[in-house]
Amino acid sequence: MADIVVKNLHKEFGVGAGKVVALENVGLSIGGHVFVSIVGPSGCGKSTLLNILTGIENPTSGTVEITQEGHEAAPGYVFQAARLLPWRTVMDNLMFVQEDRSPATRERCQRYLDMVQLGDKGDKFPGELSGGMQQRVGIARAFSVEPDVLFMDEPFSHLDAITARSLRRELHLMWAQARKTVVFVTHDVGEAVELSNRVLVFANGGRLVDDIEVDLPFPRDAADEDVAVAKARIFRKFEELDLLVS
Amino acid sequence: MRVLRSPLTARLLFPVAVLVFWLVSIELIQHVWPFAVDVLPRPSEVRDFIWDELRLDTFAPYNVFETFWISLKRLGIGWLIAMGLGTMIGLAMGMSKGANAFFNDWVVAVLAMPNLAWALFVSMAFGFGNTGPIIVVVLTGIPFVIINVREGVRNTPRELFDMSRSFRVSQSKTMRHVLLPSLMPFMFAAARYSFALGWKGLVVAEVFGGDDGAGWTMKFWYDAQRAHGVVGYAFFFMVFAIVFERFVFDTIAKRVFRWRPSLTEVEVVEEMFEAEAPTLAPAAQAGR
Repeated sequence: MADIVVKNLHKEFGVGAGKVVALENVGLSIGGHVFVSIVGPSGCGKSTLLNILTGIENPTSGTVEITQEGHEAAPGYVFQAARLLPWRTVMDNLMFVQEDRSPATRERCQRYLDMVQLGDKGDKFPGELSGGMQQRVGIARAFSVEPDVLFMDEPFSHLDAITARSLRRELHLMWAQARKTVVFVTHDVGEAVELSNRVLVFANGGRLVDDIEVDLPFPRDAADEDVAVAKARIFRKFEELDLLVS
Repeated sequence: MRVLRSPLTARLLFPVAVLVFWLVSIELIQHVWPFAVDVLPRPSEVRDFIWDELRLDTFAPYNVFETFWISLKRLGIGWLIAMGLGTMIGLAMGMSKGANAFFNDWVVAVLAMPNLAWALFVSMAFGFGNTGPIIVVVLTGIPFVIINVREGVRNTPRELFDMSRSFRVSQSKTMRHVLLPSLMPFMFAAARYSFALGWKGLVVAEVFGGDDGAGWTMKFWYDAQRAHGVVGYAFFFMVFAIVFERFVFDTIAKRVFRWRPSLTEVEVVEEMFEAEAPTLAPAAQAGR
């Protein structure tokens, strides 16, 4: 588990008339065993926020602090496209991100492969697996470093609805078992409501416009009335914003 | 039909076709100009020459095995230097705009020079021996190494480096597991081109500035007015090239690139043209 504190985070590209504001003065605080979704339309800055949180990009101004018991937390990251090393086997891909090559570490990797039902695919190359399987390897890889915080950038958006649904269930069970902080970026409002305790709503221009607690019991079904109500609330927020802006 | 159209049959048919063409041409030309019999070797003469050479029975100062060994040593050393130096320059040019600006014109200039120019110059500068030919191998091969390695650096998979960084993987691990493997296809292209072109440059260098080696020996047979010797040595060149391509490069490539999903491209293309169209007629009839 980790604590993430973001203060006055601002990111812009370019200068003058051509300036693009990717994130506008974002402030938020996430802590403990939570599943937080960041929801917004394409181009609203959610991927930028994730890149800054993981250290791939630097903000123009503002601070990000990720801590667990006073030291820097080790992040896990699941990408939209699996981003596996195509020239290494599945097991080697997991071992690549580990700190050491001990037998204990290898066993841990095997355990996470088993958890995503790919325990027997350790010797295969990514090119031999389907898209859904590759994404599951990506998830296993992120979980296998047993990170304090797990960042996920639209991990199921490239998959078909059926595979995505089953992976969402798997992800939820792994999170419930592992007691870590998950920050999950998606454009799919339904997915966000189905999986999270808390939904941060972003609008175009990198503005954080709403912060919603989703206090419904797990497991949740998309057909549940309460789930539908929560979804509706978020969609209404976007409609409000459209009226204000246009 | 199946046997006739298999790739193996086609491969075997090619030399047969060449042989037939050769025999027919000799007959036709002799009808036109009867004195050509001295200049154009018959396949049987070439075959006898090749057989004699393989049995170490030759007029040349060195037999075919010694000759190719001399040339191969020069090619090997020159190729290693071209790969080493070329890789360093290519990496620099790929990673730094300054280095690219510095070297680019020279690479283009070296690329444009014909092998002959190098061969003549080094033979004047270094005379007989190994130095001249080795330098020519380096000069003919190095532009291809530089260009391919530079392309490799420019085509590195950004998203895999980002992934590595997001997991805080060390620099050395990233180099070993991300950078180097991503450069492999380009290194292979560099190796194959510089080897093949280096060989051509070597032969020219040996013809003009040597007293041994495959190029010089071919010229020996030319000077001795033995056309079957010239053609026979050309045949040895082809065998040499094929052996290296199939047994060395291909074998190593299969191992290094075994992670690639296999494609039988030829079959795919043929199926596009040959596949049976689904028959719609019965359905149309039923609907009537």
